[in-house]
Amino acid sequence: MRSTKFWILLIAAALVVCLAAAAAVMLGNTGSCVARVYQNGQLLRAVDLSQVEEGYTFTVSGPAGENLVQVEPGRIRVAAADCPDQVCVHQGWISTGIAPIVCLPNQLVIQIQSDSHNQQVDGVTG
Amino acid sequence: MMRTARLSALLLALALLAGCAPGSREDTVHFTAMDTVIQLSVYGCDHGEETLSEARQLIQELDGLLSTTDEDSQIHALNQGETVALAQPVQALLERALALCADTGGAFDITIYPVVRAWGFTTDSHQVPTQEELSALLARVDYRQVEPQGGTLTLPQGVELDLGGVAKGYASQQVAQLLREEGVDCALIDLGGSIQAIGSSPDGDPWSVGIRDPRSDSPEDYAAVVRVTDQAVVTSGMYERYFEQDGVRYGHIIDPDTGYPVDNGLASVTVVSPDATLADALSTALFVMGRDGAAQYWRGREDFEFVLMGEDGSIAISEGLEGSFSLAGEQGSVSLEVIRR
Repeated sequence: MRSTKFWILLIAAALVVCLAAAAAVMLGNTGSCVARVYQNGQLLRAVDLSQVEEGYTFTVSGPAGENLVQVEPGRIRVAAADCPDQVCVHQGWISTGIAPIVCLPNQLVIQIQSDSHNQQVDGVTG
Repeated sequence: MMRTARLSALLLALALLAGCAPGSREDTVHFTAMDTVIQLSVYGCDHGEETLSEARQLIQELDGLLSTTDEDSQIHALNQGETVALAQPVQALLERALALCADTGGAFDITIYPVVRAWGFTTDSHQVPTQEELSALLARVDYRQVEPQGGTLTLPQGVELDLGGVAKGYASQQVAQLLREEGVDCALIDLGGSIQAIGSSPDGDPWSVGIRDPRSDSPEDYAAVVRVTDQAVVTSGMYERYFEQDGVRYGHIIDPDTGYPVDNGLASVTVVSPDATLADALSTALFVMGRDGAAQYWRGREDFEFVLMGEDGSIAISEGLEGSFSLAGEQGSVSLEVIRR
């Protein structure tokens, strides 16, 4: 028979291993999440949304005027645009890689690439 | 020991057979063409970048021929009343489209363009046309008036073509063919929500394609997921383009019989088929036919399956999707019906 102390240590060790594993999984899920801003296929800017601490904005100019892009921790949107249809503005915030924000008149695409593997679909039809 | 060796050999063989091993090389390109955003991804292809640039060129060429608004396009020239010697892809697609118009009894009609324009859906200056105006325009709507003669075509006075209801499906089919010829066996072609899957996903499972939730404004929200291999998934949704006037909502999908936007309780129609051009045309045609008409049409064919999403949140699927369809939200809150043969 082993001593009680041995079993307590063993259980404590198992607990530590479990907690470490749980922490690793959780930290893994908050991995980087990069929004890439393209114009006519050219990469203009890449923003790691997981590293954003304070929100900010920047503008992108195109054939139909300007798009005001707003960045906040974990998410990005087009806050205002000169384009006539305002589709990109109506699309609102995006935070996953499922659907890009698109402004056709300004040939602007904002696409999020996330390596956290929490994306459940490969594409969206609609 | 022998057993372990044999098992390892078997596993290795399986891994090689899978073609797109997880973690293998991925190449992606996005650009805008055909009035939408296009994303092409190929996996495990050692010349992916070159292949994608060829695919992009192919899409841009097709767009240049098929656009209704580009003044250099063949469709634009036809709509100006000119006699046009049709380029091979235009002729091939036109013939296919006319066959689909006939097959759907005109629920899909490539001559609806003048009516769509009268509603302002082509210019974003929306209006409700008068009944007289619609009646006059409807007299010009009939795909049977489009009669190519040995590679050339002249449209009768007042008849105008729009191949937009099949162009994306056709383009994704052409891209799929190009990619397969280049030896790609794992790719996802996304033409603004018209999706064509090649092979299965890089992890070996079928591709998961979300179907947008028609009741949400965000294109990131999907109401259901369908899993596919080597198939196209195309959706027509009322939410894509609509306007409201005097409390009435007018959508961009026009019934060629009445000239009015379809208003039959459907919010979106998704078609799953190995044939992307068929899926594209049918996503519109089934929308026009409505739930019962769509079910009846499907019972007479074997080459597609469908998902109907209602404005009330109800969902109906054809029975062929039973094993590959799942709801994304809380299962209890949605009524799911399986339509059988």
